[in-house]
Amino acid sequence: MTKIWLVVERDMRMFLQYKFLLIMRAVWFFAQISLFGLVASQMINAEKVPNYFQYYAAGVGIMMLYSTAMFIGYDIYEEADHGVVEYLLSLPVSRRELVIGRSIGGGIRSFVYVGPMLVFILYIIGLANPLNFLLAFASLFLFAFGVSGMSITFAVGIKSRDKYDIFLGVFDALIVRLSTAMYPRATMLSASTLYGNIAAFNPVTFASDLFRWGAGIEYYLTSPLLALIGLFMFFSAFTLLGVAIYEKRLEGGVWE
Amino acid sequence: MKEMKAVLHVMEHDLRNFVRYKFWIVGLIAMNLADLFIMAIVYTQMVRIDIVVDYFRFFSPGLTITGLFAAAFMIGREVNWEVRRSVSHYMLSLPIERWELATGRILAGGVRGMVYMSPLLLTTFLFLGFPSPTNLLVILGALFLLAAGTAGLSIAIAVSTRSFEKFVTSRSVLYYLLFFCSTIFYPMRDPRFLDLIKNVMPQPLIVFAQINPLSGGADMIRSFLLGTPALTLEMPMSILIFSGVFATSAAVAYIKIIERE
Repeated sequence: MTKIWLVVERDMRMFLQYKFLLIMRAVWFFAQISLFGLVASQMINAEKVPNYFQYYAAGVGIMMLYSTAMFIGYDIYEEADHGVVEYLLSLPVSRRELVIGRSIGGGIRSFVYVGPMLVFILYIIGLANPLNFLLAFASLFLFAFGVSGMSITFAVGIKSRDKYDIFLGVFDALIVRLSTAMYPRATMLSASTLYGNIAAFNPVTFASDLFRWGAGIEYYLTSPLLALIGLFMFFSAFTLLGVAIYEKRLEGGVWE
Repeated sequence: MKEMKAVLHVMEHDLRNFVRYKFWIVGLIAMNLADLFIMAIVYTQMVRIDIVVDYFRFFSPGLTITGLFAAAFMIGREVNWEVRRSVSHYMLSLPIERWELATGRILAGGVRGMVYMSPLLLTTFLFLGFPSPTNLLVILGALFLLAAGTAGLSIAIAVSTRSFEKFVTSRSVLYYLLFFCSTIFYPMRDPRFLDLIKNVMPQPLIVFAQINPLSGGADMIRSFLLGTPALTLEMPMSILIFSGVFATSAAVAYIKIIERE
């Protein structure tokens, strides 16, 4: 356990190196909410989305959490570029402890960074039921750890920075837009059944809907339990898969 | 003629470099297509039809402009890298005049923007209809000016700092300001919409959105293809002024910085 925490602590420290990136992300967050969110909400049909500003603000928080947790994949490529992978392998830490620590570290650091923004969003939306919110908040940890695990899985699975960049560019574009982060699923279904059906199995959808439910915008989520199960499955799959792939692929082969 | 050849050499160098960013281009294309074929289609279902009748058709010209801007802005990243790595010494050793170098780089930035934007513009034409040959020429001319102005703006920022992080941060702030305070995403020239947003957006930002050259580019395409908003002198003027100011200031700043380096 101590070794896992050492890995977590290292990832937290590494995150602070990206101060300009963190500033940029914060600017993006406030621009999305105070410019796009406020103005776009004025052109949305209130019969379709009663308060689009609140809806969108919650979605932006989840998008932030997602993109920050995904960032750990780039750390892995940086380490491969600088030959740090060999150093990590020489440490008295097992592969399993390393990947679990990295997955948790990636999740916690994104939470530490996005936490104040989520509080700001709660200030906008309000907090109707603290118990629901605590449950939703806990589920967001599962989401963040799962996304970190997914990012690690992709990074060590692909092992080529260029291919990873392309893959992530396409993947990020699709996973966010095919979720309920920006629009409700009912609207997606009326636009395209395919979009709506994909959104139903998207972890970003589970996290967005649970966060809104926790904050008191409950009418978009009919079954919080299903969303919670979905997130748990996502977390388990990518943490277990991440461990398996990381253990197998870390040694040998070439990092392009 | 000799000067023209030198400028073309510089442009060729920058265009070849553009192909190096194929990974970035693929990511950007994916994001643009997802914005159009997922986000815009879903938004069409929930945007008030008394504000925007068909959001997909409204947004398509706006998306073309965002692609043009992002691709033309890329040249600044290279110029900033050259400043940091003192590649400018090598540039100065070439048998090319300073002004030829600066002109070539700004024009190359513009052409790169146009190259990237072309498939997006074609997609817009496919869904909104093709303009008359005269209107097409006006659109292409205006977009090239906009791309050259954007490249100029990017170069001006790139040479103003040796820090890559500061360049990237300034770029982000500028992106969000120019994209979100424009008519790319919403009809900021429609009096009914202006009436709705007067309480949520400060008046200076509304004025900025209307004179923003990105708004000018998007609305010019809309006025030719959709008929609304009506074409006004303000649209081409905003592009002309933007292009003139930033292409000139970038050229001056670029020449000064590579001499000083």
